[in-house]
Amino acid sequence: MKDLSVTVKSNKKIAENIYMITFTLPEGAGAMHGGQFVNLSTGNGANLLRRPLGVCMVEGDDVSVCYQVKGGGTKYLSTVEPGRKLQALLPCGNWFDVDDYEHIVVIGGGVGIFPLIATIREHYRTKSFYSYIGFRNIDAVCLYNELAKSKKLTITTDDGSYGERGNVVSAYLKDAANVPADVIIACGPPVMLKVLKQKLEEEKIKVPCFVSLEERMGCGMGACLVCVCKTSDGGNARVCRDGPVFNINEVQL
Amino acid sequence: MANLQVEICGVKFKNPVIAASGTFGFGREYNLLYDISVLGGISTKGTTVEPRLGNSVPRIAEGSSVILNSVGLQNPGVEHFIKEDLPFLKSKGVVIIANVAGRTLEDYGTICSRLDGLVDMIELNISCPNVHSGGMALGIKPENIFKVTKLSKSALNKTPLIVKLSPNVESIPTNARAAEEGGADCISLINTFTGMVIDIERRKPLLANNTGGVSGAGIKPIAVRMVYEASHAVKIPVIGMGGISSAADAIEFMMAGARAVQVGTANFSDGNAMPKIIGGINGWLDAHNINDINQIVNTLTLN
Repeated sequence: MKDLSVTVKSNKKIAENIYMITFTLPEGAGAMHGGQFVNLSTGNGANLLRRPLGVCMVEGDDVSVCYQVKGGGTKYLSTVEPGRKLQALLPCGNWFDVDDYEHIVVIGGGVGIFPLIATIREHYRTKSFYSYIGFRNIDAVCLYNELAKSKKLTITTDDGSYGERGNVVSAYLKDAANVPADVIIACGPPVMLKVLKQKLEEEKIKVPCFVSLEERMGCGMGACLVCVCKTSDGGNARVCRDGPVFNINEVQL
Repeated sequence: MANLQVEICGVKFKNPVIAASGTFGFGREYNLLYDISVLGGISTKGTTVEPRLGNSVPRIAEGSSVILNSVGLQNPGVEHFIKEDLPFLKSKGVVIIANVAGRTLEDYGTICSRLDGLVDMIELNISCPNVHSGGMALGIKPENIFKVTKLSKSALNKTPLIVKLSPNVESIPTNARAAEEGGADCISLINTFTGMVIDIERRKPLLANNTGGVSGAGIKPIAVRMVYEASHAVKIPVIGMGGISSAADAIEFMMAGARAVQVGTANFSDGNAMPKIIGGINGWLDAHNINDINQIVNTLTLN
């Protein structure tokens, strides 16, 4: 983990309200894996908090993360031009460790798809991914070519304007009997993860399942105890350091 | 290279830059970024007699040049601190300031006597805005500050006592004097301001706790004024904090009367903020041909 000044290489809109920012590290950053995140300054000095953004692509010293423009901070970030320096803490947190698995089911929704894409990109040459990816509507669909590195790809939209109409958890459950799954990895809105947990229990699907959680963060390295989630035993875990990837059975959703 | 060493209540700091409580845990995480032995000191995460889980999330929000937090004193409890964290901190050779909090007046006595002689200094957190009992209730009225300070001091034989003051009060000088009269060896200020951020779409406060403590660069001018007031109201040393993010900020506080400073929120914007501030102070002193940091303390002349 390093706290570095990085140089913005590009910052482009890739879907409605979604941007991809690519920055160059000043030195080799070492390995970065899908699920890990970068705590990135917005470029506006009045934003004292950095934004935790999941690593989406790593190519040499270039790292790409994606973000949704939501409040003032991400709005400012979307105006940052190539050449600007941003302060970045990276790589943060743990990752989707799929080394021991061959057949991987991917369930993702909204901005949760980006860390999953990093995992697919990292392993698609040697492993098989069966991906169920949900978007709000056709305008939100992005990075199709990356998702298509999956052996099987099902895209759903809430309104049916692209792919199947419906939600990704239902889409997977419909296929579950026919899809070989050694592990499920998931990232998306809290309600999606909650339903996934419920359904896996109801349908008695015993495949190990790992989810990546999102929470508002402070330091991004586990010191400030701002971004906690509830563990199954009633305690707290730090999303930034103990996670963001957790076994679905070990956290309350 | 100027002398950066400062001495407060007989405790020697290798430089006047201390990690502020609650932003730095017990130092382990930041030690992965840089060797934390370069710091003057570390004020630990607010520690209580029993472990606490703290408040619900979201625990953090943002305003222009400020942040708000409502962690609510999540901590592993004093026994865990002594067993698991204290040996690590001792190995780093920094001044260890145990920031302690209680639900009741008695809690403060219990935790002070447990830590007496084990840490270099104790900082009483009587000004946390995020807990519903103890905390700030004890830190607002001067008579309560006097009471909790006196009780804590009577539990201590070896370790100097810092009382951390709240800014959410009527008079900083009155409260600083109440701490001094209660037997405090030092005061630190300011803790956070109580604030609120509203999500206008949901018409609800953004923080789960509704309110939180405001900190960061935006509060600095108020903090400097309060540190100036406090250091001119008491004879005991003052440690200043509130929005420090650069060497120049730290120097302002020291000119206003602080003998050392604490840095908190700036660590979130740049994990290396404190080593940079330490280097910057040294650079400023060299550029001004000042060979000892202590020469700038309380050197302000008013207009």
